Amino acid sequence: MAPPMIDPSLFDQLKTNIEEDTSVRKELDQFLDDLNQHVSLTQGVLSRIHSTPRAKYATLLGQVQGGINKEIETVGRLAVFASQYPYYKYNHKWTRMVQDAISTVILCAWLGGMSTESRPGEVGRLLTLEEIGQAFNVPVNLKDRDAFHITIEEYLLGLIAVIDDLSRLAVNSVTLGDNAMAVQISGFIKDLHAGFQVLNLKNDILRKRVDSIKYSVKKVEDVVYDLSLRNLIPAQDAQ
Amino acid sequence: MSGFKRDWSGNAKRRDGPKSAPKQVVRNAYTPMFESLRDELDEHHDRRERIVKASRDITALSKKIIFSLQRVRKIENRLPANIQSEVDSRLAEISKLLASIAPEIQGINRYRYSRSLMCLEELVEALTFAHYLRTQTLISYAELDPVVQDLTRKGATSEDQVMADASDTAGSTTTTTEIPPSSTIEPPTFSLTQEDYLYGVFDLTGEMMRFATTSTALTGTMAGGQTENGGSDGEDDEPRTIVQDMHELGTFFEMLPVAPGNRFQWDKKLEVTRQSVQKVERLGYDRIIRGSERPKGWVPDLSSGDQGQGDEVE
Repeated sequence: MAPPMIDPSLFDQLKTNIEEDTSVRKELDQFLDDLNQHVSLTQGVLSRIHSTPRAKYATLLGQVQGGINKEIETVGRLAVFASQYPYYKYNHKWTRMVQDAISTVILCAWLGGMSTESRPGEVGRLLTLEEIGQAFNVPVNLKDRDAFHITIEEYLLGLIAVIDDLSRLAVNSVTLGDNAMAVQISGFIKDLHAGFQVLNLKNDILRKRVDSIKYSVKKVEDVVYDLSLRNLIPAQDAQ
Repeated sequence: MSGFKRDWSGNAKRRDGPKSAPKQVVRNAYTPMFESLRDELDEHHDRRERIVKASRDITALSKKIIFSLQRVRKIENRLPANIQSEVDSRLAEISKLLASIAPEIQGINRYRYSRSLMCLEELVEALTFAHYLRTQTLISYAELDPVVQDLTRKGATSEDQVMADASDTAGSTTTTTEIPPSSTIEPPTFSLTQEDYLYGVFDLTGEMMRFATTSTALTGTMAGGQTENGGSDGEDDEPRTIVQDMHELGTFFEMLPVAPGNRFQWDKKLEVTRQSVQKVERLGYDRIIRGSERPKGWVPDLSSGDQGQGDEVE
């Protein structure tokens, strides 16, 4: 008796695996729904900086911090669940959302939030990849084991979104009479722009986003130009 | 950014522009951070580059194996000697390539580069096809995975031998030669993913369809189990033919839930499989209805049939 073309157990095995894969994705979607909610709310609250004078940042950042805490908590749950599976098998599902969450944290810290006992918040502070990892309480740039972490690309893409937002803030801070803020943002964005030039980029999404930084640079340069033309730049105060 | 800007009067401007006077230096507070990130990203890009190169070669070799196998005319335990030797020599080359990328795709990197490893689908297609031609069965994932791991292992060991013989030839096949010649260390291997397997088997149906068409046309019989086996059988069942096998494969894929990774690709492959099944069905029908009228050795006009296949497959 010749063996059958297809061993019946093969079908069962494959079917089980596909079903498991599908259910993992469904469960991930639930975490991501939660994360999406918290990120959207936090982004919404953060958007008030464009109409809030610097003196009132503290209250606003307090609210932002509340949203960020929820983000951190959700990312923590996601990390536990996702670490059971090969990281890069599902990474594409959450990478956008995690980037957005990273953005909110970087921006909040830059505005003077995210203070810890050891480090009080100050305007103009850039959190590094490692500090982002500490904030979310997850590893970063993992290479030696297969678990949830924040990648370099996610950090950089999150940072680029912050640059975009800060260039908008430069305009609005002038409207609110805070010219020093615009000057400080200009210096920061130019420094980062120079930093991004250091990277050797391939023709991928990161390259595309990095290319967009120059428009932010242009935008803040124009603001600073307008200020300097009218002698509105505060002397050395910004430093 | 390349090039430089000019100011109003046409003189070259400093890159940072005249406005931020204290920030003329190229280096700033963030430069070291970006430099370390750059090194990490470069490592990743270089690795991917190496994988893509090997992958392209493995794909080409696998396709050549499939071409060789398409010269087989019937299903039997042993492939014809000349074809077997062609397949073996290609597989030996593939072994070395697999061994060269195996260290790069350990652990977390297995899925990180899975999109650069399309060659594995092609390899699965070649191996499952060879297996079918010998046994008239579909090799399971559990049986095939160790075969690929063995290939990888063989590639690593044969390289050691080559290195002992002539180190310059080995140097050209591997980028990293720091593997000590002592073969006590188990060379790294990796597993096929289920996607590699499934998409490879999808493509197998296309190869089976081609094989069924040519073998039927050239031999006048439908490829299937050996008729000599029929002598020993207690039951009076005719041996299975490729028509039934295709039906079974078709049903197999129709019944499987859609793999959630890439639904679009799955649907496309399933559609091609359906067409292949129907082509072989038609062959079976033709043989039943006209087979008896057909004189032995009669070869049908293949020209139109071949054109039909050419644009449907791949």
